[in-house]
Amino acid sequence: MNLTAVVWATTGSLFAIGLAVVTFRRQLLAMLLGLELMLAAVNVALVHHAGLFDDAEALAVVALVIAVAAAEAVVGLALILRVRRSGRGADASVLTELRG
Amino acid sequence: MSMPLTALWTVPLLGALVCAFLGSKARYGALAFSSAFLALAGGISYLQGSPSALAVLTETGPQWAYGVCYRLSADSLSLGLIGLTAFLNLICVAASWDLKVSAGYWACFLALASALTGVFLARDLFFFYAFWEATLIPMFFIIGLWGSSGRLHAAVKFFLFTFAGSVFMLLALLALVSAHHRVTGVWTWDLGSLDPKTLGAAAPYVFWGLVLGFAVKIPMVPLHTWLPDAHTEAPAAGSVMLAGVMLKMGVYGLLRVAIPLFPDLSVEMYPILGGLAALSTVYGALCAMAQTDLKRLIAYSSIAHLGFCLLGVLSRTSQGLSGGTLQLVNHGLTTGALFLMVGFLYERSHKRGLSDFGDLASRAPYLAFFFGFATLASIGLPGLNGFVGEFMSLSGAMSAPFPIFAFVGCLGVTLAAAYALPAFQVVFWSPAGPDSVSAKVSDLDFRERAILWILCGLMLWIGLAPKPWLAWFEPALRGLVR
Amino acid sequence: MTPPEVMLAVKVLFGAPVAAILFGFFVMRRVKPEWTHLPILASCAAVTAAAACLAAYTTAKHCLELPVWTWAVAGDWGVAFGLRIDGPSSAILAMVAFVGSLIHVYAAAYMKGDKGFARFFLVFHLFFLAMIGLLTANDYLQLYLFWELVGVSSYLLIGFWYHKESARKAALKAFMTNRIGDLGFLIAVLMMIYAYRSTRLQTVYEFMAAKPSIYTSIIALGLVWAAFAKSAQWPLYYWLPDAMEGPTPTSALMHAATMVTAGVFLLIRSWPIISAVDGLPQLIAWTGALTSLGAAIIAGTKKDIKRILAYSTVSHLGLMMLAVGLGELGTAAYHLIVHGFFKAALFLCAGNIAHAFHQSTANVDETGGLRREMPFTYGCFLAAALSLAGAPLFAGFFSKDAILDAAWHHGGGLRVIGMLIAFGSAFYIFRMLFLVFHGDRKEQSRGGRHPHEAGPEFVLPIFALSFGAVVLGHGSIREWVSNLMTYGMRGVPMVLIRLKPYFDLPGEPALPALNWTVSAFGTVLALLGAGAAYYLTMVDSGWDWRWRGGFAEAVFESDFGYKIIVGWGARAVSWTARFTGRVLDKNWWDGLLESSSDVLREAGNALASSAQGRVNDYLWWMLAGSAVLLGRVLR
Repeated sequence: MNLTAVVWATTGSLFAIGLAVVTFRRQLLAMLLGLELMLAAVNVALVHHAGLFDDAEALAVVALVIAVAAAEAVVGLALILRVRRSGRGADASVLTELRG
Repeated sequence: MSMPLTALWTVPLLGALVCAFLGSKARYGALAFSSAFLALAGGISYLQGSPSALAVLTETGPQWAYGVCYRLSADSLSLGLIGLTAFLNLICVAASWDLKVSAGYWACFLALASALTGVFLARDLFFFYAFWEATLIPMFFIIGLWGSSGRLHAAVKFFLFTFAGSVFMLLALLALVSAHHRVTGVWTWDLGSLDPKTLGAAAPYVFWGLVLGFAVKIPMVPLHTWLPDAHTEAPAAGSVMLAGVMLKMGVYGLLRVAIPLFPDLSVEMYPILGGLAALSTVYGALCAMAQTDLKRLIAYSSIAHLGFCLLGVLSRTSQGLSGGTLQLVNHGLTTGALFLMVGFLYERSHKRGLSDFGDLASRAPYLAFFFGFATLASIGLPGLNGFVGEFMSLSGAMSAPFPIFAFVGCLGVTLAAAYALPAFQVVFWSPAGPDSVSAKVSDLDFRERAILWILCGLMLWIGLAPKPWLAWFEPALRGLVR
Repeated sequence: MTPPEVMLAVKVLFGAPVAAILFGFFVMRRVKPEWTHLPILASCAAVTAAAACLAAYTTAKHCLELPVWTWAVAGDWGVAFGLRIDGPSSAILAMVAFVGSLIHVYAAAYMKGDKGFARFFLVFHLFFLAMIGLLTANDYLQLYLFWELVGVSSYLLIGFWYHKESARKAALKAFMTNRIGDLGFLIAVLMMIYAYRSTRLQTVYEFMAAKPSIYTSIIALGLVWAAFAKSAQWPLYYWLPDAMEGPTPTSALMHAATMVTAGVFLLIRSWPIISAVDGLPQLIAWTGALTSLGAAIIAGTKKDIKRILAYSTVSHLGLMMLAVGLGELGTAAYHLIVHGFFKAALFLCAGNIAHAFHQSTANVDETGGLRREMPFTYGCFLAAALSLAGAPLFAGFFSKDAILDAAWHHGGGLRVIGMLIAFGSAFYIFRMLFLVFHGDRKEQSRGGRHPHEAGPEFVLPIFALSFGAVVLGHGSIREWVSNLMTYGMRGVPMVLIRLKPYFDLPGEPALPALNWTVSAFGTVLALLGAGAAYYLTMVDSGWDWRWRGGFAEAVFESDFGYKIIVGWGARAVSWTARFTGRVLDKNWWDGLLESSSDVLREAGNALASSAQGRVNDYLWWMLAGSAVLLGRVLR
């Protein structure tokens, strides 16, 4: 079993867990964590493949993804805080303002 | 001025911007800019030279992406319609002088005039379309903000109907431009250099797309149902611009775009289009007979009148084209005057139903005189302007294939009296009923009379001596004769 | 008459009325409305003088065709207006100017004190101007222009007292009926442009001489249809009796002496076209004869004095049509002129009576024995009535008998109908005379009113008209009119015209010899008619009130049922309009188009139910989409 297979397995399962959390859980904080998990999985895969193909651009993308993840956390957490303070809890199934 | 044509459409646009910031003094700005616009249009027309040898002014800017190019041109047809726009715009400003409206009202009218001017000037189809759609925005607000009780519905209906028509026009234009590129390898939107032969078998679809866009605007039966609502709810001056100029865009589009691009197809399709035009004259008259609201009645009469224009223009004979084009001006003057007077009635009484009035000939003799005059012009009394256009259009239709259309049109002329005169009698001659608001109607003041004298004077002038007017338009129409 | 004088006369002919109307409208109406008639009367005098000059000019066998201005041009298409002063126009113009001016004078007295005095005179004179233009037009389109202007001014005058519902209805009816007739004129003019490339009279005549076009029958039919509307012939006659709602001078000027004769004039003008269509002259003759007979019968049953005269006018217009249809243009024009005099006189007498009763008209129930109070009116009425009935040596005798003579020569049914008309005319006019001016019947009551003779300003114009109605039968005048009808028709193809001898060559003696057999027959029948009228009004004086009620009255009141058919026609049109405007357009078609927005809204609602706003659902959709895209990329 080579390293690539390990990385694929790890990141794949990490991504799947994150996706499952985002799609199945209704708790906003949990969904945010799931997103972060997916981003982290992508990052790990990118770092490994950067080494594999000797590609610096991939590392640049990693830096970008980290920045995006940080920004997302900041905005997302702020939004969740606002929603919680509005008194309706932080459950996605209650927040149906987008209903058609 | 090095770019007179650009100035022509930017002066009113500048006026609109200035008016928007003038607040309660906006009407003075509107008056100043409308006058300047009219003076500019008149000046350019005058400097163009004698009517028999009208030079064509052209301005061309740099090429943009995909062959889009700022290209303006003005021949006698364009200048004539721009003159009509500028004239009616000034009339509208004068007629609205005492209205308690915000600065936006005046800005909208100037913006509308600017966009309309752009339509009549543009020779690049991209700009043509852009100006065409730009006219919708100020008119949408004029109806939607300053209209009467049902204004929102009417504004949305107006917008959606004409916009839906324009979508087909846009598709047709895109097909035309891309086909031209596919065959020749050149991107261009220039009306003069586009070659419709590149379309091959798709030409009829493109032609019908264009015609659909124009026919909704005219409006031709059966695409007309937005017009009565829009006219009824619009403020009086809005109706004047709508009937006086905006409807003319449709016929102008046929004359400028559809017929020159597809001369053969427009002859082939004459049995359908001419038939619908003839139908419009009778159908509009019959519908007008059944109306109980003055504005709706005049709106339906517009449909009938534009049917005559269309019949003449589509017949593609020299007298039909000249008469149909002159009828554009005639209809602007006559229907404009009628809408203004209904507006004056509405300002005084806040009613416009036929049965809301009565006995106005005794209470407001000036109003009765002018309304009667304009009504007679509208039903095509020889000696007044309406007759010239109708007669020449019918004469053109008589010389074209299917002279039956001319006979149907004659029936429309007869029916015109059957809607206009009973309405005149109910409003001005019948005794005032118990619910009538005639007591509130005071006679016209000096400003209103002056406006109507100008309009009625022009009606008489065109009716008695249409020759110079026809000669003015003729150079632009000569090439369209079949 | 030298050319400069003729030019001056022509300028006066149009310049004077236009100036008078403009001056009256802009100055007099504001400054001194009760004096509006003064410039207009001056214009009448000038026009009469000018018309007399022109008549003298054409009598000297001159003709004038004067281009004035080019109306419209488009490519090789063009219409130019001008004047054509020839025999038919100048003869009828002389009558119109003279009779019209007298009626203007009368109207100044009759309308005095009316609130709309200025308005009345301005429109009245506008009509006069339109009539002048109609008669002198050298182009069919120009003729049409004035033809319509005549219609509009008559509309405004019939509806002059617009507070009365009957006046409003009558005005609309008159205008709409004329408009229906104008449909024929419009089609004819359009066809003319198409077939002959011109509407100029002379060009059309010359074209007819060269090669009659296959479109000629449409043109001729259109013109005849228009003439039937204007000259109140069946099937379009029904507006004229109602048009009596206008002030009496209107009835006298338009609906007796001038406007209604425009149709006859049009047919005289268009004779080269009409005669080229086989059977059309016969159609005109028969329509005229039957209309004339029917109207004469109905005139004998009416109670309203102006309506009696209105039906009488229809009847006499029918006689003129009969003459035209038989090719007797000179006779038709002569009767037109004589009729203008005696009918205007009769109408103005009726106006005197109405004025004496302070009403717009009068009814035979209210009159009776008026000759005591109104002797002058009576005298004038009697003279005009004798002329109308065709009493020997009165003008009407010569003009009517010439028509009867033509009908006699044509033979067959027209011979009988002509004689019946002679009987009917005498009957209705003498019935009216006796019922109004004679007798002392218990059925008639003045209702407490005390009529009195009108003043000299009323009586003098009537006297002049009655005088004309008596003396116009003089041979020189008959000869003059008959001759004039031929002048100016030079260049008109004589083969096509198929005229009677006196119309053949310009300048030939054209006086029709009096046919003594026909005259004797006509006179006897007129005497019988007058005698019957005497018996049924003076001897058996209650007869007129006895037969009324029941079926007979219903038949006569509905013009033998024709009015009911017309009513159905009008209702059918307005029903169609209501159906088209309210149901077809508004409910069905616009409803369908508007419902498209409902369809879209419903579709949106249906789709919206699948979007409940739960973020997780959207994520699933996103996931599915990503999977599809990924699948396509990896494939």
